[in-house]
Order: sequence, then C-alpha cells, then structure tokens
Amino acid sequence: MEIAAEDLTDGITKVVLRGRFDTTGAVQVELPFNRIVTEQRKVLVDLSAVSFLTSYAIRVLLIGAKIVNSKNGKLVILCPDGKVAKVLKTAGVDALIPVYVAESAAIEALRL
Amino acid sequence: MTAMSGSDPRRLVLGNHLAELNRLAVWIEGWAQDSVSPDVSLALQLCLEEAVANIIMYGAIDGGLEIAVELERRGQTLIARIEDNGRPFDPTQKPPPRLATTLKDAKIGNLGIYLARSFASHMDYERRQGRNRLTLRFDEPQAASPQP
Repeated sequence: MEIAAEDLTDGITKVVLRGRFDTTGAVQVELPFNRIVTEQRKVLVDLSAVSFLTSYAIRVLLIGAKIVNSKNGKLVILCPDGKVAKVLKTAGVDALIPVYVAESAAIEALRL
Repeated sequence: MTAMSGSDPRRLVLGNHLAELNRLAVWIEGWAQDSVSPDVSLALQLCLEEAVANIIMYGAIDGGLEIAVELERRGQTLIARIEDNGRPFDPTQKPPPRLATTLKDAKIGNLGIYLARSFASHMDYERRQGRNRLTLRFDEPQAASPQP
C-alpha cells in the first residue's frame, strides 16, 4: 500500500492512497496518515486508486477525520462508485465523513 | 471440517500473524477469478479478511493459534468454512453496532463482524471439540433465495 501527500491551493492537502487498503495495508499507512492529519486542517483523502477496503481502513479514516475535526478542520473522501464506495456506505461512513465522486466537488467542499 | 491434504487447493492453513492475511488475499483472488461475479468476489474477500483478521488479533489463547480456511463451490453458491483453535467466539451472537450519525458520536472499531454479516448471504457458527467453526455462504445474485 502506498501513500503520498500533495499540497493544493487554499491550504488543502491531498492524500493519495494506492493499493489494497486492507488490514496489513492500513497498518502500513497508519503512521504517515496520522502525521498528515495531525499537521493539516483541510484534508482530501483520495481513494480512487484503492482496490479494496476493510474495517481497519475505516478505523484509520475515522480516527483521521476526528483528529482534523478536533482542530475545526475538515476531512473529505474522494471515492468513485464501486466496491470501495459500497463498503464505505455499508459501514455508514458516508454519514460521518463527506464522500465525493468528483475531485472538483471535494475541493469545493474544503474551500467553504 | 474434513481433513484434507496440505496440497488441496480448496484449503489454506494460516498461522497467527497479520502478514498471513496477504497469503489469504492471494489465495482468495485465485478463487475470485474463477467465474465469480464481482459482488461475490467482493463479499468473499471482505468477509474472509474480516473474520481471519479478527481471529488473529483477538483469538489466541496461548500463542499456538492455527486457522484453516476451506472453500467449496456448490452450483451458484460458494461456501467458506473457517476453523480455529482460539478462544470461543460466536460472531452470529454479536449484536450489530449502532451506526453513529455524527463523527463526534462515532465509536472506533466493531465494524469488521458487522461488515462480514452484511456482505455474506448467510453465516453459521458452532463450537466443537475446542474449535470455532464459522461457515459463510455466498450466493450469486441469480441464486439468492429466501432462507428455508
């Protein structure tokens, strides 16, 4: 599993995750992900290149969103329709963290 | 669970390490590529990963944990059996978590079994001879029918 961060305009940090966001993948990215959400206040998590996602990944995302929210920041997820979106929806994540299918909409939500 | 030889492609024996989940994923992928619908492929991968990860993380009693996974195709249905010698745990008796409606109220964890129960067509559990035996059924969409 790979993780990369990129600074966009307006103080937005885009975190791109790539690969299987399963238990072992989530363990691999947990520390660098937590470092980013601790340092940033506007975070876009791009799951477009994630092929699979499990409950441990959801745990990492929820902890990240809670950390950002505790600083009055915002974390949103970019995730096209597909099996990853289906797991997020079944777990009720879309009710807790805004999920967008288009990057432009995700960025706009962080600008507000 | 029927005893099978170590080379039986329908059976995988795993040890008590999270890295074993990678071996499980590769093994399941082999099955999932074999005439399985995308829905069943996702359900199979998710349910087995969640169930086995749960056993590895919480099941060990004295470190000597062994997990065996078997897959069997019956027509349009896949049957998965997971057997382990860890502490007794019946996931079918675990009440579903109350899904939070706000991030502030969201509790961390307790989603793995819920996801497995949501994505499997059916789940059965029994404790026999000191072992947990979990059976999961995955029906292809056209084969789904009401429980008898």
